[in-house]
Amino acid sequence: MDAQLQEEARVSVMVVDDHPMWRDAVERDLREAGFDVVGVAATGDEAVRRFPACRPQVVVLDLQLPGRSGVEVTREVLQHDPSARVLVLSASGEQADVLAAVKAGATGYLVKSASRAELLDAVRRVARGDAVFTAGLAGLVLGEYRRLSAPADPGRPTLTERETEVLRMVATGQSYKQIAERLVLSHRTVQNHVQNTLRKLQLHNRVELTRYAIEQGIDGDDGGDGDDGDGAG
Amino acid sequence: MLRFVLLLNALVLYAYRIDAVTRPVLGAVCVLAMVVWTPLASWLLADPARRTPWWLGLDLALALALVLLSPVVKGAGFGATVPGFWVVGALMAWAVRYRWPGGLLAGAALATADLAVRRDVTQANAGNVFLLLLGGVIVGSMAESLHRMALERDRAQHEAAVAAERTRLARAVHDGVLQVLGLVQRHGREVPELAELGRLAGEQEVALRALIRRQDTVDPDALAVSAPDRVDLVAALAPYAGRPGVEVVDLGERVEVAARIGSELSSVVAACLDNVGRHAPGASAWVLVEADDERVVLTVRDDGPGIPAGRLEQAAAEGRLGVAESIRGRVADLGGTADLRTDPTGTCWTFSVPRATTEPAGGRIGS
Repeated sequence: MDAQLQEEARVSVMVVDDHPMWRDAVERDLREAGFDVVGVAATGDEAVRRFPACRPQVVVLDLQLPGRSGVEVTREVLQHDPSARVLVLSASGEQADVLAAVKAGATGYLVKSASRAELLDAVRRVARGDAVFTAGLAGLVLGEYRRLSAPADPGRPTLTERETEVLRMVATGQSYKQIAERLVLSHRTVQNHVQNTLRKLQLHNRVELTRYAIEQGIDGDDGGDGDDGDGAG
Repeated sequence: MLRFVLLLNALVLYAYRIDAVTRPVLGAVCVLAMVVWTPLASWLLADPARRTPWWLGLDLALALALVLLSPVVKGAGFGATVPGFWVVGALMAWAVRYRWPGGLLAGAALATADLAVRRDVTQANAGNVFLLLLGGVIVGSMAESLHRMALERDRAQHEAAVAAERTRLARAVHDGVLQVLGLVQRHGREVPELAELGRLAGEQEVALRALIRRQDTVDPDALAVSAPDRVDLVAALAPYAGRPGVEVVDLGERVEVAARIGSELSSVVAACLDNVGRHAPGASAWVLVEADDERVVLTVRDDGPGIPAGRLEQAAAEGRLGVAESIRGRVADLGGTADLRTDPTGTCWTFSVPRATTEPAGGRIGS
């Protein structure tokens, strides 16, 4: 127990939330559990500004922020320090925002009604590099792969059969432990499958962003050839 | 633009029949008046704010004066009035500004003046006068309906903007409410006296989130696509998330199915969840809605103690149609399959139903 506490004491966390009551509650819970809260921020801009100085291992991030959105904060923070981890803690859990945050690199998602124990557990797991999923997020990720697979293109990420199976089990509320037992896999293997589903999405997202940036750049240099309105369909 | 064409027409006609002019000086004054007034009127009346009764009155008065002066300029037996069709400019202005009554009034005034100055009225004159009246009324009514359409468009745009703003505000309010409900639940778990309050807050939180989800799925271009006999299965199942311990998971997109499939699947899910409530009170349940182009796949799982071995067979042997069989029957009626797995860690139903409408009832019953 002591050793575990010692290990956790080294986990540094930044809390970003525009609701003072929440920010204080989360900060207090984290401190009491032995985490090192190295910074707090109430807006997206504050978060991005303070992040380089605080260098937290985990950012606990609300998505609905004034100014820069949680999705943008996720992207910029991870650009600055790719080894940092983002745990989204959202009240409304709007699907589009959650999915965008995950694609931007967040590796954990919890709704705010989660218990204190669930939150602490999620921060620990995210800090270790695990992906923390809710059933709802698993559904969204399954849906995103389905949407990506619609136009058959070899460049698009796809799920292996095993990954789909695991995600569907997460989406029906099964814990990694239960999944591991049912599929006769190690807990670690289940973890890896789940993480892979996120990693592929995030990689694809980065490639898409880069491709978009290059296209925009080329257009800008050459003045474009007037084919702007040309869609893929 | 119209006024300039009319002016050109009047000038050419005037020049063409210059030999009929008996008083060249007065005629020149009349022409000059038209040449000066045409661009002035075009500019004045281009802006609705300047379309005052005074300017419109002057416009019509000038046209009338020119018509009335015609016998003086061209002699009593003249063919065409000095302004000719130029008077249409004033007529249109009145029709546009005062709708059909204005068009009628201006038309009547011009017609009366035209007829009053003629010694003898030919059929062509009478025809022109009639066209003048008719034109005034028609342009007036068209201006009216155009105006009404513009108003309606403005109102629709305004309403859309208001709705968007309302959604934005609602989002902020919802987020705030959810934050507080979340906090209350948190405290409820830690302070025994607040446990009941926390539980209630949890139920409200789930209900509010389901509502937001439903609004989100309604939002986009979906309204245009949704036919009356089709429903969004995700929205239809969303209310079940309001039951304690139940979570409805979807793929983040609408699942449109025929209304009959939607209502049948909804009752199937209700039956499954009722069963959980009856046999495994306190257990959590998850409903996963998946779909591809051909099939809808519903998974309803609970973490209760499972259905004891032999229980279903026993019910069947006793000739009782258990809940499980009635669920299977309903799904089979939709041309789908139902799969039941149960063990001491929980029960899991998986239903796979074709999205295309099948025959109304008693279709293929698979097993």
